[in-house]
Amino acid sequence: MPTATLLPPDSVLDALRGDRAARPARDTTSAATYRATLEQRIGDVLVGVPADTRVVLTAASLRRSAQTRDLHDSTRGRLRGALVSVLLRLHVVGTPLGSAFDDALTAWCAEGPSSDLLTHWESLDDDERARLATDVTAHHVTLARALGEVPDEWSARTAQRASLRLAGGRVVLRDTVDLVIGSVHADVAGVVLFDVTTSPLGDGAERALRYHALVETLRTSVVPLRSAVFSSATGELWLREVDSDMLARAVDEVVAAVSEECGPR
Amino acid sequence: MNELTVTHVDDEVLARLVDSAPPTSAVLTDDHRRSLTARFRAVPDPAHRRLDAWSVETAGRAPSDFRWTPAAARRTLATAALRRMLPTPGLTLVGSVTQALDAQVARAQTGQARAGSLAVWLDTLGSAARGLVVAEAVGWAGAVLEVARGLEAPWNVAASDAYYDVAGARTTLRGRRDLEVARGDGLVVVRLRAGSPGTTAGAGLRVDLAVLALADSRGVAPSRVIGWWPEAGVVLAVDGSMEGVRAGARDLVRAAVVTRRHRLHLAA
Repeated sequence: MPTATLLPPDSVLDALRGDRAARPARDTTSAATYRATLEQRIGDVLVGVPADTRVVLTAASLRRSAQTRDLHDSTRGRLRGALVSVLLRLHVVGTPLGSAFDDALTAWCAEGPSSDLLTHWESLDDDERARLATDVTAHHVTLARALGEVPDEWSARTAQRASLRLAGGRVVLRDTVDLVIGSVHADVAGVVLFDVTTSPLGDGAERALRYHALVETLRTSVVPLRSAVFSSATGELWLREVDSDMLARAVDEVVAAVSEECGPR
Repeated sequence: MNELTVTHVDDEVLARLVDSAPPTSAVLTDDHRRSLTARFRAVPDPAHRRLDAWSVETAGRAPSDFRWTPAAARRTLATAALRRMLPTPGLTLVGSVTQALDAQVARAQTGQARAGSLAVWLDTLGSAARGLVVAEAVGWAGAVLEVARGLEAPWNVAASDAYYDVAGARTTLRGRRDLEVARGDGLVVVRLRAGSPGTTAGAGLRVDLAVLALADSRGVAPSRVIGWWPEAGVVLAVDGSMEGVRAGARDLVRAAVVTRRHRLHLAA
């Protein structure tokens, strides 16, 4: 289980940084094993599957199970998530905000958002827009208070994307981590992954947390130090040290998700 | 050799690729340049054409309507920011990107920027949208720095892309470059790319190789051009051989033919 905490304000960064002296050595050798295992097991799953079948997995694929529908899945939930992600990015680079919602919307529109979310936004009436505005503002307040000021010196990267091909390109693992701190070239394990969800934390969030760690390991061939997920709905932070058990479990979950995607519908 | 090296990223891959780069590379002569000019002049185009690796990777397809976005702006700002930050102790990545953005806005406000340019677009943005541009550029600059930290040889951030105007053919060629790494008397060039490499990524790298050789006043090609796709965790590399330069030049001429055909089709 991850370390689950409801933290006082301004302390999320302290939790992410942890005790510097206690960081493990950098693991630069395990990634090849996880990649080989994934290739082999996904290859087994794809036996008998039509060659033109393509599977694209994201953290959202891992977050939802077959039985449950996450709040993330609704268009409104995705729009709220997109706006809160924008606010996180602005917060990290220290952009002064006037109205959080209006600023998030302006920045989001400049980004060239997906047409389905834009269409959804345009279809909302004044009352729905007002509800969305207050919702996004509340999430932003929770997030900003918990995170505190992110030091410029950390060179934190936001919305870090990944797109990894497996099984000759038939399976693609896509990911976007909201905030990444640290360098793969540090003397000890130093990369911390931080994801924000606007939903309460649940089993799906834990799977997503492991998925982020696995994708980062495969992308850089260096095992990250920690993977964390923060709920801006509840102010809860789940934090996990990345280790071999966690990555092995992530491999199982990815293989299961590919199997589910390729299975009979 | 005209081989394409493909490998997964690890923390020593760049140092290995730099160390193993061939000690010598192709050198273009005036005859090579004249020959290329003749080929481009044989494909006349009423408009001034601009060709680069992307033109070849997309098989000369006409580009869709371009609009500036934070993602489109990040590379220019990140490069400018890194060139400010690296020689300035104490200047942070966020600070240097903000300075680079402010410099662009100042150019627009003093009438030094042309319509449709990055500077003019940035000048139209409010504080929040500029903040998102800063966040994108910081992410890109961070990725460049992460790549560079894996180097043991001296490196620097390229001041600009390489450009070569084909005399009398109304054609400008562009070769992208992000990092330049010293390798003996030569140079290894690294370029970062977003997304995942497609099947034409190797051809794109050879185009960069050809343009970098053409843009060099002595006609010397880089020892190796390395393409780094941080999102995909994949690295591709081509050596600076004459075969590689020729292949890149041939693909550029083909792209010019396709572009012209497309224009004529539109005009008909």
